[in-house]
Order: sequence, then structure tokens, then C-alpha cells
Amino acid sequence: MSLLKPFSKLPDLNTANILLVENEEQFQQNLADTLVEETAVTVNVRLAKSLPLPMENDESRPRIDLVVFIINLTSDKSFESAKASLKYLDPGYFLGKVCFVATNARHASVRTGCLDALRQLAALLHCPLLFAEDQSPEGATSSARRLLTILKVASGLVPNTTALYLSSLTRCTMPPDIDQPSFD
Amino acid sequence: MATQLNLSDSDSSDLSDQSVFTRRSNRSLRIAEQERRKKEEEDPFVLALKYFSEVEAGTPATGNDELENNLVRVEKVAFSRGLSPEAISVMLDFAMSLRMGSSPCARVLKCLLPASVVPQEAVVRAIVWLTVRKLPISTQVLFMKWVLTVFDMIDAKDKLRAIYGFIFSFVTDENLCPFICHLLYLLTRKENVRVFRVRKLLEQQSKLGRQPYLLYLLSLYKVFCPELVTLSIPSRMKSGFKNHISPWKSALIAVQKRNDMQVASSISLAFAVRDKTASRKRKHAHLDLPSLNPVTIKEPQAAQSSSRKLVPMQQIQSFAQLLQNMHRIELPAQMGSLLGSSLALQYLDCVQDESALLRLNFWLGYTLHEEFLFCSDGGANKNPEEALQFLNRLLSVQHFLQEGFNSSDAFMYKFLNVWDGSLLRPQILGLLSNIPVIPSSQIKTLLFDPLMQLFFTSSLFFKCGLIECLNHMLLKWLTWHSAYALEDDLDISLNSHTSINITLSGFKDSVMELVHFVGRLASVGLQLEDCHSLLLSFILDFYETVCDTFLKFGLPLVVMPPPGVFYPAFFAADPVSVDRLAFIMHRYKVNLTSAKRQEKVTEQGFHISRQTFREFNRYQVFLVNCLWNSNMCYPEADVRLSDELLAKSGVPQFSTRFDLIHHPAFVSYALDFHHKCWPGRKDTDLNSIKQSKPWNWYLEYLFTQGFDGLKDFVQNSINQRVMMAGDGCDNVTQSQKLGSAPHIKQPLLS
Repeated sequence: MSLLKPFSKLPDLNTANILLVENEEQFQQNLADTLVEETAVTVNVRLAKSLPLPMENDESRPRIDLVVFIINLTSDKSFESAKASLKYLDPGYFLGKVCFVATNARHASVRTGCLDALRQLAALLHCPLLFAEDQSPEGATSSARRLLTILKVASGLVPNTTALYLSSLTRCTMPPDIDQPSFD
Repeated sequence: MATQLNLSDSDSSDLSDQSVFTRRSNRSLRIAEQERRKKEEEDPFVLALKYFSEVEAGTPATGNDELENNLVRVEKVAFSRGLSPEAISVMLDFAMSLRMGSSPCARVLKCLLPASVVPQEAVVRAIVWLTVRKLPISTQVLFMKWVLTVFDMIDAKDKLRAIYGFIFSFVTDENLCPFICHLLYLLTRKENVRVFRVRKLLEQQSKLGRQPYLLYLLSLYKVFCPELVTLSIPSRMKSGFKNHISPWKSALIAVQKRNDMQVASSISLAFAVRDKTASRKRKHAHLDLPSLNPVTIKEPQAAQSSSRKLVPMQQIQSFAQLLQNMHRIELPAQMGSLLGSSLALQYLDCVQDESALLRLNFWLGYTLHEEFLFCSDGGANKNPEEALQFLNRLLSVQHFLQEGFNSSDAFMYKFLNVWDGSLLRPQILGLLSNIPVIPSSQIKTLLFDPLMQLFFTSSLFFKCGLIECLNHMLLKWLTWHSAYALEDDLDISLNSHTSINITLSGFKDSVMELVHFVGRLASVGLQLEDCHSLLLSFILDFYETVCDTFLKFGLPLVVMPPPGVFYPAFFAADPVSVDRLAFIMHRYKVNLTSAKRQEKVTEQGFHISRQTFREFNRYQVFLVNCLWNSNMCYPEADVRLSDELLAKSGVPQFSTRFDLIHHPAFVSYALDFHHKCWPGRKDTDLNSIKQSKPWNWYLEYLFTQGFDGLKDFVQNSINQRVMMAGDGCDNVTQSQKLGSAPHIKQPLLS
């Protein structure tokens, strides 16, 4: 079992590396295509189905600045796989270098409780949870932009701020059970 | 003369020609008519219909070629153009009466695609047949599905409503129950909700389990008569009526598309009021606003037995008519249609009866939930245009009524938690800004938590948009307060149609929470975005609202901006930001002074905390010291660096770097002024502006450049002496002489 470590390698100049982990391998390709279009910094995108990453190219792999778990809420397997992958991450990653992206949150066939379980997990790990509209190209672009915002901070490219600081502002919280909020 | 004659001659001949032509054309028309009639008689379709209407009961269906041929003809027409109302009536009657047994029944039902409308008499008759003859269960279900599919196309619903009880009796049928419940859901009105029906439904529920379709109908009953239904309805229901998959849907859409393309207006549709942009008419596209379709469509109803004659909303054409019939308006069958008519909105605005709003809220909440939170296609909106139009319409309605709907607010709280920050952004932010005051105990979880997560992970433009949206929200809250708060009664109704009240102190708490929240977003946002001037501009917009809460809106509350906003605005390199900051500080001062004065006059007046005065004074001293006294490094300053460190930077006279001459925002103006003032001079010495005469000219020059905020600030805070009378007030005068800058008395508020 090999842990992925956030600080075991030196960063490259003006470069940010992001790892997209998705069991279904549907949305990550779209995201990757949009992410690499960024011109201000060099963005390297690595794709994986799950963790741990294979040992073979461990040497050549750059330092990963941000690990993104993409979870399709309509599939239980997606969530389980991401949850199982989490333990192959060094605890240092949870200081602002892990992010969850949920897709299909507005789908009718989302099992009740699935979204809540994911929120709970993200809140427990102090990680941000983004929602993405994976069906439309605009949705993919906007999620890529948001990931890029986090990635730039996580790879230390934004002055005045750190990954830990940003994650303290954006980490997931549990929303109340809202139906008709009663104000008594 | 001759030419004139000629002319008239030719004219008359023309005329005669014309008359001949018209006569001829008349004749040709007549011939055409005759031919058409003849053709119609020979038309195989008409013959086929005739066959179906006249065929004798008991004719065998199997091996009947005549039946087969006629049915094929009808099907051909149905799938290409759709069937006329008469044809629907004939065919439905034929199928449901089982004149030729049950075997052709399903096939006939499947081809019943209306071209325009479905006559309700036909439907009523068919429902009656449902009890008389023994139809196979599958056919019964098929018929119910058909009724639900074409429900919106049934020309009137009054007779269907008249047999409500009759339809209700089918609830006990296990197979039909889901469909009957859906139909009842569409038909139910307040007077239909009775104790015995509720009891029956509950009985049915205990027999079949908590079925969603029963729950849905019960929840509608609960909306109408909350006292009759004590059952608690779960918050997140699975989609209740799963009758969407009907065999007609795609064929119906195809037929209607074709008809729309051929003749848009020639058919006298009952859907005349419909929005032109949404020209396709379908069932189950909830976002398509239905037309104002009255429950009763037939015009002359003078001989109605009921003593209180109701006037359908559709017949109201003008505001005067609306006023006359205000007390006896009949609401349309589909509440969503109200959103499309401005007269209906007028009615809604001043109506006393809450059931209209209840129904509208119910419909709206259901629609928003189904279409945006619980999509069958997972949010891949096949029709983004439709969603856009719907939300825009909703926004304009809210704008018209000047308040939101409960259901859309509840929807927003849910939607924010799954929003990606870009889907329909302008509309969602618009709806968000319409949210009424939320009590401070809930505001964090409902609003701030999701917004904070979105704000810090999104782009600069989202940040600007959100700040603007929150500014609008605050403006609406404050306007609401100034319009509805009564002097002696401190309770404010949150919404003209709900009974939720909030006390003045509760309202103040909520506003304060909101202002502090935006202050937090703004401080950190500016830091993350490197003090982007666009973001700064939106933030200053917000504080222009905040600084005037007392004088403009009568809310006794003054909240100062946090240092994270004040200092970036002051050190900004663009003069507009500094000017606006000066304006905001000026308004703060005016508000605080008049609040102070009022506190003196009315004994039990509100109290503004000393902390606020202290903050204001600190900013004020800083501004005056930097801009005017050229002394950035005074002992009590917030921003302090050691003199040695500053000396190391090599900047000469570092203390004067942010005065009106050297401030990066104004240095270009100072240079320009210098050039104009001493055109001959070779060497530029900006400090020479500090002589008292050029200094005053320089100020005049700056004020002519449009820096009104600065002008207000300088005239009110620096030159004039504002003396605060009273014991708790110590007028600290700070006069510092630097160079030959004017002598300043600087008043402080305490």
C-alpha cells in the first residue's frame, strides 16, 4: 500500500498538477480537456479510476497539488470506490488539497441519503464539495474553472493565501433539512 | 378634356371588369365549395367515421375487412394530422361502448390523437361507459392514461368537475387508483375536499400502503383544507404520478409540430391567450405556461342554477372589468396560467382569499422541484430555453408583485445546496435577491453556508454577481422595512400573505448579519482577487446602501465597513474608488450625526454603540491624516510600520505619499494641475501645490473633475466645524502642520 504524499517531491516552476479520480471515467475526460486549456500556468492533469496509483511510474509522476474525487450520485459504486480510495492519501492532503465533485445531484434517481452521506464525508474531512452539471458543455467548463481556482491556490500560485486557508472558507457543511422552513 | 374623358372611360371599364371578376370568382368559389362537399362525401376518412358512428352493436370484429379498412384510414389521418374534435368524439364513443367487442378497443384508443381539442362531453360519456360495460383492466388503464395525456386539451372541465364524486368512486379500484388519483389531483377544488373523501383516501392508504399518488392527492387536500387532513406529508416525495410514459406522447408532439407548421392560427384554438414564444403545446412540459383556461369555457351561462355567478378569469379583458367582478372571479383550471396574465396578477395582488396563492404556491413549488431538483433526465435540460423563459417569467411576476412566493423561496434554499454556480446564473441570482428577511437564527445555515462555498470557489464574475445580488437583497429588505414598519407597532410582516412576523430587533439582527456576512466575503474576496477594481466597485455599491440605512430607510442601524474593505478602497490606484470611499464616509458621518441628534431629542431613542463611533473616528482620522495632513504615520494609525523600515525603502518623505497630491490615484491630476498652473516651469515640484493658494485652486480643480464624493467629504469633514453638543462628546482637534498645508480642525464623533 503506497500513500500519495503532497510534499514528497519538489514543485515545478509555474506548474500545477491535478489528479482526477472517477470510477466511471465519464466526466474526467471532459474536465481534463477544459483544464489544460488554461494558459496562465501549465496545468498537468492525471486521470485515475481509483487509488492507489500504480507503482511503475511513481518516479516520473509529478507532485500532485490537488486530488479531485468525482462522484456520480446515481451510482452507489462511485461513492464506495471514492471512499475506499481515500485511505491511500497522506493526511497532509486533507489540509486543503482534496476536493469532491458531485454529479447528477439533481437527478430523480438519486437514492435518498446518498447525497447526505457524501456531504457528511466531505464535512468530516473538511473538504469542499462542488456540484457539477456534467451533461452540458457549459457545465463542464464552469466546473473546470472552479477546480482551477482551487488548484491555483493549492499549488501555491496565488499570493496572500494558502490551500488550508481557502479550505477553511469553502469546506462543506451539513445543510438543515429544509422543506418549508418554519421561523418559530 | 378628351384625355379626361378617356380616363373616366377606362376607369369605368376597369370597374366593370372588376365586377365581372368578382362575379366570376364568386361562382368559382361556389363550385369549389360544392366540389369540396362532394369530395368530403367521398372522402374515405369521412366515410370511415360514418361507419364507426353507425355500426351496429354486436357486429363481429374478427375477420371483418370493412372494419380493418376503415380503422386503417382513421389511423392514417390520426398519425399525420390528428383527429378533429368530432372524430375524437365518434371514435371514443365507438371504443368505449364496446359495440364490436373489446378487441379493437385498445387499437382505437391508441390512435386518438387530437388535432386541436378534445370535447369534454366525449370524455364524460366515456367515463360513464367505464362503469356500464365490462372493459378489460388493461383497456381501462389505457383509457385513463389517455385522459391524463390529453387533459390539457380537453376544451372545458366544468362537466368533469360536476362528476367529481363519480370519478372519486373509482379510487377503490386497485388498478385504476394511481390514475384516478392523478385525474382527481388535476380536478380538485376546495369545495371537493370533504371529510368522507379524506377518510376514504386514508382507508385506501392503509390498504395499499403509503403510495405516493395517494400522498400527493392528500397533500393537495391538505393545501385546501388543512383542518381536515392531519396527516404529515414527507418533505421529499418521490415523483408521485408516474404516468408520464404514455404511448401517445411522441406521436402527439409530432402531430402538433406538423399542424403548427401548417396552420398556426386558422384553427380556433381554445388556447388563444398563449404566449407566442412557446408555440408548442404539450402535456408534461410543465415549464410551458398554460393558457388562461377557464374551468367553464362555454360563454352563455346566464341560466346557471347557482345563485352566485362566477366570472372566469379568461373573460376579463380590462382592468375596469376586473374591478367590477373582483368578488366573483373564477380561478382558472391551471394555476400556472395566472403567471402569464397581467390582469390575473393584479387580481392576485389585491385578493383577500388565500386559496389562490396557496394553489399557485403549490403548483409553483411542485414545478420548480420537478424541473430543477428532481429531473428525470438528470439536469441535462433538453430545453434550456424553456427553463430560462420560465424563470424569467417568474422573476417578472415577482417584480410585479414586489415579493417572492413561499414556494420559490423554499426552492432557492434547496437549490443553492446543489448549484454549480453557473447554471442559469442571472435568473437564480435574481430569485435569490427576492428572498424575504430570514431570521438571524436561520440565516447562516439557509443562506450563508452555501453561498460562502460557492463564492470562494468561483470566478471573479460570480463574486461580483453575488455581491450585487446581496446588495439588491439588502435594498429590498430595507425598502420593505421603511414601507411596512409602523411607529408604534414594531412587528413587521415578512410577507403580505403570511402571518410570520418579525420584531424590529429581529429585523435589525438579520440586516446586521447580512452586512457582516458581505463584509467578510468582501474582505477575503479582495484579498484572493488581488483587490480587483471591478470587485471593489461592487463592494462599494453595497456600502453605499449600508451607509445610508438610517436616513434613507429609517432603520436605526449603522454598520461600518471592515478594515479589509476600507483600506483596499483607500489604497486603490483608481481615483473612482477613493472618491466613492470618501462619499461613503461622508454619508456615514451625516447618518451618525443625525442619529446622534435624534437620540438627544427623543429620550427613548435607539442606541448606537460606542464601538461604531470609535470605528468611524478611526477611519475618519486616517483619511484626513493621509489625504489632507500628509501624515500617514501618526501614532494611533491602524496601518503602522516602523519608521526605520520605511526609511529603508528609500521612498523620500514616505509619510506624505498618500496625500491628495501624491496618492497614486491622484498623482496624474496633480501633475496636470502643476502643468496648467505653472506652464513655464521646467522642473516639476509637486510640493509647491501645498502653498495655501495653489492648494485651494488644486481642490477646485479636483472638484471640477467630477470627484463629488471627495468634495462632499472635504467640505463637510474638514473645513466646516461640526460641533457635537453634549456631555459625552469630546471634540478632539487634531491639527498638524506639514509643509504649508492648511490648518485643520477635525471633528470627531463619539
